[in-house]
Amino acid sequence: MERTIVHCDLDTFFVSVERLLNSDLVGKPVLIGGSSDRGVVASCSYEARKFGVHSAMPMRLARQLCPEAILVRGDHDLYSKYSNIVTEIIEEKIPIVEKASIDEHYLDMSGMDKFFGTWKLTQELRQRIIKETGLPISFGLSTNKTVSKIATGEAKPCGERKVDGGTEKPFLAPLSIRKIPGIGDKTYPLLRNMGISHIYTLQQMNVFTMKQVLGENGVSIWNKANGIDKSAVVPFHQQKSMSKEHTFEQDTIDMELLRRIMLSMVDELAFDLRKDGRLTSCVTVKIRYSNFDTHTTQAKLAFTSSERTISEKVLQLFHKLYSKRMLIRLIGVKFSNLIAGSYQADLFDDTLEDINLSKAMDKIRMRYGHHSVVRGFALLNP
Amino acid sequence: MHFIVSSSVLLKNLQLVGGIISSNVILPILEDFLFDLDNQTLTLTGSDLETMIKVKLEVQVDGDAGQNKGRICVPSKILLEYLKNLPEQPVKFNINTQDQTLEISSNTGKYKIGGQKADEYPKEPVADDTGSVTIPSKVLQDAIASTIYATSTDTLRPAMTGVYFELGQDQTTFVATDAQRLVKLTRNDVKSGFERGFIVPRKPLQQLKNIIPSDDTALEILFNNSHLFVKNEKLSLSCRLIDAKFPPYKSVIPQENPFFLIINRADLISCLRRVSIFASKGSSQVVFSIVGNTVNISAQDADFSYEGKEELTCQYQGEDMKIAFNGKLLIEMLSNLVSEEVKLELSTPSRAGIYRPVNGDPNEDLLQLLMPLIVGV
Repeated sequence: MERTIVHCDLDTFFVSVERLLNSDLVGKPVLIGGSSDRGVVASCSYEARKFGVHSAMPMRLARQLCPEAILVRGDHDLYSKYSNIVTEIIEEKIPIVEKASIDEHYLDMSGMDKFFGTWKLTQELRQRIIKETGLPISFGLSTNKTVSKIATGEAKPCGERKVDGGTEKPFLAPLSIRKIPGIGDKTYPLLRNMGISHIYTLQQMNVFTMKQVLGENGVSIWNKANGIDKSAVVPFHQQKSMSKEHTFEQDTIDMELLRRIMLSMVDELAFDLRKDGRLTSCVTVKIRYSNFDTHTTQAKLAFTSSERTISEKVLQLFHKLYSKRMLIRLIGVKFSNLIAGSYQADLFDDTLEDINLSKAMDKIRMRYGHHSVVRGFALLNP
Repeated sequence: MHFIVSSSVLLKNLQLVGGIISSNVILPILEDFLFDLDNQTLTLTGSDLETMIKVKLEVQVDGDAGQNKGRICVPSKILLEYLKNLPEQPVKFNINTQDQTLEISSNTGKYKIGGQKADEYPKEPVADDTGSVTIPSKVLQDAIASTIYATSTDTLRPAMTGVYFELGQDQTTFVATDAQRLVKLTRNDVKSGFERGFIVPRKPLQQLKNIIPSDDTALEILFNNSHLFVKNEKLSLSCRLIDAKFPPYKSVIPQENPFFLIINRADLISCLRRVSIFASKGSSQVVFSIVGNTVNISAQDADFSYEGKEELTCQYQGEDMKIAFNGKLLIEMLSNLVSEEVKLELSTPSRAGIYRPVNGDPNEDLLQLLMPLIVGV
């Protein structure tokens, strides 16, 4: 059976929310993100994009390109709130909704065309979201997730696009290979070097050639280029990992500082684990050097949510990984392989005092927030 | 040299020794049995370098006494396989130590196995400078059975990968722990007259448990700083001890757990078996909510929305409490108790729970300790 999948994306979501609250921003270039030298652009208005600014660009460069832009710090809680309102409106009408990110949804509308036609239903839904929230939103409608997502990209800003079953290939053919989700900073230059610039070329290629060049990933890209994507719309995503990263104001090799930052990141993540009643069994440490060389390493451990066990492992991994004698720009910690469960106390390593302390700290944090109480070592300026 | 022996008797004895022979060995000769014939006594040996097991049996020899002496190494796998497929009958073994071959003659035919020189077989460690204690075979067997499952497999903590034997003036204590649970068995009827402690690795104990008889015959236990020797007139086992300090287990056993709960052991086990199916696979978390004289046992797996809940009646004296344990570990512990009822001693949800048999053997004191799971805020 042919499916009907809709992808919707809120246009310049963060900027749109800020404009709702402050109409002075309408029609002007707006940048959202951290204002420090090391911050990056989280979102920017179409007016700012004309100057060559794009999201994930360093804020410093963005301000050079567009000095008249208005800078907004950004408020993630506020954006979540608006995002949830949009999700609610969609879920009211559509049975299978996957929230892919804060501003993106996939809707499975297969079989809903019996009386009104899915295209009309989608248009009505879009108008309703715009009317009720005041946020611009774009839709792409097609037979699978990949084509719908690309169609949304073509529909922007604030538009609609429909790609009927059977016309996926001609629709994709004239587009740049950049538009295919999964082709990023690594694969794009590689394919360009091979002389491939449009999806049309990929469609004409042999799937085995793609497999030889890019392995299994090549097959998946080839499928996407031909408008084939069997993945289902999954209503609920279990969180697979949790991570924290820290970019330094100035690159550093201050070991004591690095150690403190790592330990406090572990502390916070371990608290999140316990708060959700989860355990991790895989930790990853990430280092980015000042020349942007990025290295990661990971290790397995018995299921745990204790910062003591995890920080031991994290420091071990860090010492193994840090070998370059170069300034460090960014450091990160990630917990993955998460399962539901509680921490198994250790007979010899956990004293009753430790357990009670940890419990008391967690209680304070639950009530007054993450940073209301920290361990002594985590104080950066003791 | 040659001898005649019943095929089933030989097979039984080879199987006693063969348990220690692992399938992937460091030295090829460790795949072999050592046959050592001294007239009518045949000694069979198996080893994995760390542990050596010997067993003696009587065989029939004809011809001159004093002439029938010799040693040879025989590949274990082929010999065992052959004997398993041979109906019970007397079998004649002819060993040629010149070209290192073993010839077997049975009613059905003749078979030949190429062996290796006995000189290359590892030597048994020398039992010098030893202390000793005697212990009934059954007591040792039970002591191993009720502690060995709690040993750790974490090679980073070598001291916990074995059972700690603590010999004392008035009693002998066996302790095993993997840092999540601890089992301590004290026998008041085994006294040694001095105080010593040593850690025996898991693998030889497992073998020992399987090969010693389940009766009251005495076993002699000898030990020095590096090795343990266990002997009776037929069997002997020697193994290397773990060279590490056993963790200070006494200080982590709570002395006063003010609350206690008495419950039927079989009911509790079968309840846990059912409920823990619904627990999250990784942590196997089972929650006990004790209110008055009922205990509510529940488990859930949020990832799949599975949930299980049961209620049992018990005798409880203490404050109402909610405490979580690893169900899998708990079932294993309770299955290793042999009493109708079990007593659980508690204090707070963050402190260890202690399980003891009710009306157990007066000569022994068994304590099983399990650390709880710390349920988040």
